Amino acid sequence: MSALVLLGVAVPLGYAEPPADTSPSNSVAGNPGAPAAGQAAVKKQLTGAELYSIHCNRCHAERYPTERTGAQWKTIMLHMQVRANIPGQQARLILQYLQENSGR
Amino acid sequence: MNKTMKTGCWMLAPGITVGTLLLALPPTATAEVSDADFNALKETVQKLSEQVQSLTQTNQIVKQMHEQDLQQLKELQAKLAQTQQTATDAEQKSEAAAQAQAQPMPRVPIDEATVNHNFQMLGDAEFQYANVDHQNGAFLLADFAPIFLYRGGDNILFEAGFDTTIANNAPNSSGYTTTFNLSFAQLDYVMNDYMTLCAGDLLLPLGTYSERGAGWLNKIPDDPLAVDALLPGSGVGAELRGAVPMGDAGKLFNYSVFCVNGPGSADGTGNAGALDLGGNVGVRSDGVTANLHNNPAGGGRLAVFIPFKPRYDLELGVSAAVSEWDNAGSHLWTAGVLDAALHLGPNLEVKGEYIASRFGSDDLGTINQNGWFVQLGYKLAGLNLELPAINNLELVGRYDALRDGLGTTTDQYTIGCVYYVTTALLLEGDYEFINSSDPTQPSNQLILQISYGF
Repeated sequence: MSALVLLGVAVPLGYAEPPADTSPSNSVAGNPGAPAAGQAAVKKQLTGAELYSIHCNRCHAERYPTERTGAQWKTIMLHMQVRANIPGQQARLILQYLQENSGR
Repeated sequence: MNKTMKTGCWMLAPGITVGTLLLALPPTATAEVSDADFNALKETVQKLSEQVQSLTQTNQIVKQMHEQDLQQLKELQAKLAQTQQTATDAEQKSEAAAQAQAQPMPRVPIDEATVNHNFQMLGDAEFQYANVDHQNGAFLLADFAPIFLYRGGDNILFEAGFDTTIANNAPNSSGYTTTFNLSFAQLDYVMNDYMTLCAGDLLLPLGTYSERGAGWLNKIPDDPLAVDALLPGSGVGAELRGAVPMGDAGKLFNYSVFCVNGPGSADGTGNAGALDLGGNVGVRSDGVTANLHNNPAGGGRLAVFIPFKPRYDLELGVSAAVSEWDNAGSHLWTAGVLDAALHLGPNLEVKGEYIASRFGSDDLGTINQNGWFVQLGYKLAGLNLELPAINNLELVGRYDALRDGLGTTTDQYTIGCVYYVTTALLLEGDYEFINSSDPTQPSNQLILQISYGF
């Protein structure tokens, strides 16, 4: 029980910006057409690779994207979207990352 | 060019002949030329003139032919240049194609129109060796648990999981028995980004272990005592579930709401020992389609998931369920679960659940049960020792507590390790120290397991 209390203490810690070295090409961060003055206020959105690490690690070690084909990842990702309660937009970013790095 | 020179020679020849004849005649003989000689000479001159005229015409024809030849030559030279350009272009294209083939094709997402359906098998398999005190050690096939997925389009998925195990037949009989159980079978319809409708035999979201307890996910071979004893693993019914992002940093609010048949009574009575958490599936043993009691069960789970950065996250959840359980519908069964999971990098995981349940009964009144577990795992790769054998090891430990409300208390301490042959092939070894008020429980046991997730 005390462990649960300790875990609860960590809740207010909030989220720190992800490390820059985990940014693949499928980032949806920012909007190129947005006004320059507003861009500073726009928070960097998580990339597919970052979301992949975040969600897979909740239950198991990350599997290599090359283990499955793009079509197989599409089915598996739908399964994981339901099982792990992943919002649709995040699931699509993860799927894009997996397919771009899949074993064909 | 040679033809032109030859033609000139032929033109000069008659003139040279006439001149030669004039020089050959003596000047003094001019007056003495006879008419016959003159006529002969005239005739000769005329013939030579005709020859000159003929040769002039021939020369003109040859000139025309020569000009035609020059024209054809120019045309052929132009065609040759064009052909050479075409060959050069073809060679360049060939080189470009060869270079393109040598480079890897860019990876692009699968075309939606070409892959609308897909069948897939996932799952896990475990093989165990167990040695329980006061018993003979034995190899046993613990589980082969395939999960079949069929995706129909972008937002429909059917998934079903099975467990196959074997066991010896009854004492004094030969052979063995194979059991093939349906763990879950559900149809998922993703209604939008934030909500999915599930229907079928559902893994119930009471805590997280029932949905995340596959052999290669669980780092300890057996289930937590309280999960097995106090919660139903699945239920037949329908569920709405999903997640709503809280900002752009990955925080999620998770929810699940379900309505299932709920627990039942093994013998129809309301006696405490008859509570059957997983047996009310809508079809009775006599073939009648019916819930075993009047009303279905309801429940759900609410949770927040807070990622600090990739592989650093905290998840907190609360879940509950309530249902009638006896056939008369006179007793309620309720359960509540608090769950938490913390990851501090890829090497450290702490998770646990606290479970409390209560149910009424005819013979023993209200039964209050509770139990909890905390599990810790630390991968030695976090020590950065650069030793492959060490880097693949994870030390695990778990404390289990169970109070069954019927007088039995059990505390179990488990220590062990996991060797990761790959990320999905695990060699697990655990030793459990069991302290139970039930004298039939062993005091310790060793479990070795090979687990593979596919």
